Amino acid sequence: MSANAHVLAAEDGDGGLFTPGGPGFAPPTTDIFFPPPIVEFGPFAISKYTVLLALTVVVVLGFWFATTSKMKLVPSRWQSVAEMGYLFIRDQVARPTIGKQGDRYVPLLITLFFMILVMNLWGVVPLVGQLPVTANTAVPIVLALIVYVFWNVVGIRKQGGWRYFRDILFMPGVPWPFYIILTPIEVISTLIVRPVTHAVRLFANMFAGHLLLATFAAAGFYMFNPGAPDALLGAVSVVFSGFAFLGFFAFTLLEIVIMSLQAFVFVLLTAVYIGGAVEPAH
Amino acid sequence: MNDRQGSDREPEPKVDAMAIVGTLLAGPLCWGGIGWLADWLTDRATPLFLPIGILLGLGGSIYLVWRRLPKH
Repeated sequence: MSANAHVLAAEDGDGGLFTPGGPGFAPPTTDIFFPPPIVEFGPFAISKYTVLLALTVVVVLGFWFATTSKMKLVPSRWQSVAEMGYLFIRDQVARPTIGKQGDRYVPLLITLFFMILVMNLWGVVPLVGQLPVTANTAVPIVLALIVYVFWNVVGIRKQGGWRYFRDILFMPGVPWPFYIILTPIEVISTLIVRPVTHAVRLFANMFAGHLLLATFAAAGFYMFNPGAPDALLGAVSVVFSGFAFLGFFAFTLLEIVIMSLQAFVFVLLTAVYIGGAVEPAH
Repeated sequence: MNDRQGSDREPEPKVDAMAIVGTLLAGPLCWGGIGWLADWLTDRATPLFLPIGILLGLGGSIYLVWRRLPKH
């Protein structure tokens, strides 16, 4: 489609689609993920990410404080929303993956889930947000690192350092010469690839989804050109633009689903890793 | 979503699907890398240890994935 637009936009002028000489469609680049710093001091800076991250903390803290500070036996509407969130994480994530000991880790899982959910959803909040915080590599990397340190510490404390690492490095029930080949693979896949994929999965989903939305929006604005020299083509451009915005809204809905799903997947994998550390390998 | 659900249920063995991909990648990467290093150290014109390493690593990975799958 963009090649077609380039052909149609021939020479001079600065209009959109069907205006000869337009600049052609400039798709959004990764620049949209590097908003200019708002305040700079020395090597540090406050950018839109920092502000949204702080807002996330305020929103999540505010939600849990407001809904659970004055709890009643017969819950109010908001208290029951909070309880549903709690039960969802406990019964769908913690207990099925970690088992009876899972309840201990529910606070961590809930914090992670709601933080990531809100950080993701900033991507579809108009005006204030329009930038998922998790599309900044630093955020998923730090979250994955926290989880990585956490499940290793849990494993060492629950099973003892020697037994814990023996189970990771030397899979039980394997003839010993195999360990020469298998142990390096285990080290890489469990201790290196696992945290990396944990972080990259969240980052890449948010990054790609946001870029897709931005492309649809930019295409919609570019193609909207009712003032084209040819009135008929001007009308056609409005129809084209309508399709682009239709796609934008459809993918926004899809994005909201993906944002929730990725928050869930991150937390589910966290629970799977903790579960593997709590229970010795079978 | 009631209270009792899950509490007395044993955790089913969960397989992290990405762990399988991770293991399958880690084997050839690790042993292919060692093979490549061996080729480089012995100054070979045509790689010999690199393909051996990749195959060895892939074999190890597949064995690991197969061993880790829950058996029913």
